[in-house]
Amino acid sequence: MVSKIPSLAALIPLFLLLASTVADSDLAAELLALQSRSESGVIHLDDRAVSRFLTSPKTPRPYSLLIFFDAEHLHDKAELRLTTLKNEFALVSSSFIANNQHNPTVRSKLFFCDIEFKESQSTFGLFGVKSLPHIRLVGPDLKSPKDSDQMDQADLSRLAESMAAFVESKTKLSVGPIARPPLVSKMQFIFMVAVLLICTPFIIRRILAGDTLLHDKKVWLFGAVFVYFFSVGGTMHNIIRNMPMFLPDRNDPSRLIFFYQGSGMQLGAEGFAVGCLYTVVGLLLALVTHALVRVRNRSVQRFIMIIALFISFWAVKKVVYLDNWKTGYRVHAFWPSSWN
Amino acid sequence: MGEKPNQANSVSPSATSAAPAGSKSSDLLSRHFSIRSLKLKTKEQELLLRVTVLCLVYVLAFITRLFSVLRYESMIHEFDPYFNYRTTLFLTEKGFYEFWNWFDSESWYPLGRIIGGTLYPGLMVTAALIYWTLKVLRFAVHIREVCVLTAPFFASNTTLVAYFFGKEIWDSGAGLVAAALIAICPGYISRSVAGSYDNEGVAIFALIFTFYLFVKAVNTGSLAWSLASAFGYFYMVSAWGGYVFIINLIPLYVLVLLITGRYSMRLYVAYNSMYILGMLLAMQIRFVGFQHVQSGEHMAAMGVFFLLQVFYFLDWVKHQLNDTKLFQAFLRITVTSAVVVGALALGVGTASGYISPWTGRFYSLLDPTYAKDHIPIIASVSEHQPTAWSSFMFDFQILLFLFPAGLYFCFKRLSDATIFIVMYGLTSMYFAGVMVRLILVATPAVCLISAIAVSATIKNLTQVLRAKPKIVHSCSSKGGSSAKTSSKGLLDQSQPIGKNGAIALLFGAFYLLSKYATHCTWVTSEAYSSPSIVLAARGAHGNRVIFDDYREAYFWLRQNTPPDAKVMSWWDYGYQITAMGNRTVIVDNNTWNNTHIATVGRAMSSYEDEAYEIMRSLDVSYVLVVFGGVTGYSSDDINKFLWMVRIGGGVFPVIKEPDYLVNGNYRVDKGAAPKMLNCLMYKLSYYRFGELTTEYGKPPGYDRARGVEIGNKDIKLEFLEEAFTTSNWIVRIYKVKPPKNRW
Repeated sequence: MVSKIPSLAALIPLFLLLASTVADSDLAAELLALQSRSESGVIHLDDRAVSRFLTSPKTPRPYSLLIFFDAEHLHDKAELRLTTLKNEFALVSSSFIANNQHNPTVRSKLFFCDIEFKESQSTFGLFGVKSLPHIRLVGPDLKSPKDSDQMDQADLSRLAESMAAFVESKTKLSVGPIARPPLVSKMQFIFMVAVLLICTPFIIRRILAGDTLLHDKKVWLFGAVFVYFFSVGGTMHNIIRNMPMFLPDRNDPSRLIFFYQGSGMQLGAEGFAVGCLYTVVGLLLALVTHALVRVRNRSVQRFIMIIALFISFWAVKKVVYLDNWKTGYRVHAFWPSSWN
Repeated sequence: MGEKPNQANSVSPSATSAAPAGSKSSDLLSRHFSIRSLKLKTKEQELLLRVTVLCLVYVLAFITRLFSVLRYESMIHEFDPYFNYRTTLFLTEKGFYEFWNWFDSESWYPLGRIIGGTLYPGLMVTAALIYWTLKVLRFAVHIREVCVLTAPFFASNTTLVAYFFGKEIWDSGAGLVAAALIAICPGYISRSVAGSYDNEGVAIFALIFTFYLFVKAVNTGSLAWSLASAFGYFYMVSAWGGYVFIINLIPLYVLVLLITGRYSMRLYVAYNSMYILGMLLAMQIRFVGFQHVQSGEHMAAMGVFFLLQVFYFLDWVKHQLNDTKLFQAFLRITVTSAVVVGALALGVGTASGYISPWTGRFYSLLDPTYAKDHIPIIASVSEHQPTAWSSFMFDFQILLFLFPAGLYFCFKRLSDATIFIVMYGLTSMYFAGVMVRLILVATPAVCLISAIAVSATIKNLTQVLRAKPKIVHSCSSKGGSSAKTSSKGLLDQSQPIGKNGAIALLFGAFYLLSKYATHCTWVTSEAYSSPSIVLAARGAHGNRVIFDDYREAYFWLRQNTPPDAKVMSWWDYGYQITAMGNRTVIVDNNTWNNTHIATVGRAMSSYEDEAYEIMRSLDVSYVLVVFGGVTGYSSDDINKFLWMVRIGGGVFPVIKEPDYLVNGNYRVDKGAAPKMLNCLMYKLSYYRFGELTTEYGKPPGYDRARGVEIGNKDIKLEFLEEAFTTSNWIVRIYKVKPPKNRW
């Protein structure tokens, strides 16, 4: 798509020259032509194109515009999710076009556009866009761009599906099902199946012969400890909830919070730290009973032994302390009441 | 379990031989009464100790679960148990056939529910059997007491199974430790305290019983054990939907054994008889039906079954053919064609709709993010949330530290049995990470593996302690002690730990274990023993305040409403209303019909007039909401409301979550969304609340659960009227007015 932008930008003045007298319907036709040049059907606008297609034509315009406000220099800010949203936006666009392939009247009712901040700062001012991500729908009857409908955070939450729902509710046009490109293309899939089928007999032969990686006990052991580490650290929780590794402190943004207080939630770094503490203790116990006996030097043995004990003790204490701190529970023993 | 009587019998003669020896005839006295005859042989001593410890553990497992009975009273807890209680009552009153064919018109109005065909009857039948047995023995008990104590009773039985299981995979020491650990492990106690009369209570017993019998069958290759494990499996299927775990774990285990080249005749016998018989037996449960041959979740077991036949066939051909080259070619052809045929059959079965695809719950275990995006009704349940590390710590405590050590020990002494326990531990651990409630399934495995670590370590240490004096005489005895370390005799001279070190380590171990005991007792007493139908809080002076509003409301319903009244509430309270209030409900905790629940969600989140239409169409006569604004009870309907919106909006797109939010925030104060302030749930929860001062120094209408002053204090109801509000305002019941006169 990036390679298309210069050519499109070059085309727009051309259109402007031609278009001093064209009627509204021709504008829609132009937009359709622009659309067909982009792979996903997202039209790249700049200030001049905005004035041509949006501000200068008389209302009601024969089409609505859904505009994605983009800023390339902010793409590396992960928390804005600009690149993901842009891809999803393109997905909605291509699905809309694909689903209305045989319905040109619907197709020319809605166009998906994006605007780059560096090129078109005055349009950003025109719409009053102060923060990103920002998507606006300009309906046919709208006079001032500032009054156009903005997509809420909630509409972005489920990505393309919620964007499509937003469009459908506001424009009454049907976007239809979102066609996501499959993870592996059809050719790749067929190729993979073929490779798998060819490999199967060889693999099975090696299994029967008993000399695969799977017959190595150590591989299984490491796998097992990893699964353990993965589970008890709450990594699944972090994946499902999309938890960040750490949060900036609300009161003092320069400091980072690694441990979250409150039992229902946790941060990424927290889980890894605790998982490591768990694993270390267990493995030290195994090391002491099984590996240390092979060391010949007695004082070295004792030294390692003491260190291992010390580390285990510290780790257990630490985890119990952290758990009490996190959950706010104070565990205590129950004595017979006569002892008090 | 099966061995238990033998153990008991074998100990009694040794005990009696010692006791009456002194009192009987003088001849016997002269011959036997010496110190030596009183002194038991080491083996007998050990046996006596073992049985005593087991008995104590058995009792301990039972009594530690009685906190809730002591604190509150003997009553059923939570939500689902009320349904189980209601059905058990029905079973004992009307008999098994009535129960089996029961169509319940009191729930899911107007659809009704075929109870017999949509439940796992194991729990109810078990409780009814216990009840009938007690009656035969002339113990006059109420069925409720039986229900309350079923879970602790089965927890005690689980400790016995854990002992035998531990004995099977490691040694009797590990078995004893495992029994002790599982008796008080909070992860298990959370679902088996007295009063939590739920399927899991008996299912965990059935689960590890099945596993134990299967491992025994694989170890011995005996048909009897595999038959027993098939029956264990049948009991599990009849008791809990979690049987899917068994029917997937066992094939996985067999597959791993095949891959690692541990195929044996024992395995063949054990798996085949267990699978075929277990499948046939499981089909007798109506709720499960033909799923074993039709559902995608069970196909792994069938695939492994056929694979095992291929293995057996190949073995036989290899035996017949002496030419290796010929055999290799044959092998390649057979295996490839078998795989192709299997894949084809699966593909055709799925495409033709004969094999149903995986259910949402199963799918969400494999791809955990699935439920969050696609099935709000699964994602909304609090016990389906993913697990944070603190929950693991809370439920397992030091077992978590011992688990990797136990894994290591298992790998050091790899056998068919230890492979099984390792696989059980790891898969269940993974699932526990996905859903909080599955910690329960992981608990037996964690206890067993940790028990191996504890037992092996302590055994090594005590052996060091005992072997020390002999070191001068011989090194060989000590070689035995560290034989497990697989080191040669030469290395034995360098024991890493001397006597003092061993003593220190032993003290450390006992310190840890006593910490574990303290933790478990505390957790059981403080966290897992509240019935949640009766709420307890600390008053201003540190005294206990009991809120018994739920029962107050349900008994009000029972006594003050017409018997055919239909009560609409959020589905959480459905079982309790039918069981205690004895009134018909629209939806309940058996969330089988999403549309019906969404309709209720839609009614709750619509304006009053729209909601009235829906309620009229459902014949609703009373609406029940749970409200915590006065008491500060946080799991009330206002806090659950967003899920009602989500579930309602999932079916009826008119309901949109953003309408109830302000900038993505959920608020009930002045800044709340206008739709929020006027929807039915808000009105019913906060009706007349604006007149009430809840806290000193705060304006009237201050919501203590959310810590804000509510936004709409002047609520007028047009189509409903307040019928009853409990003493602490926790449950509020409204009557739906009849339609206005039309002429």
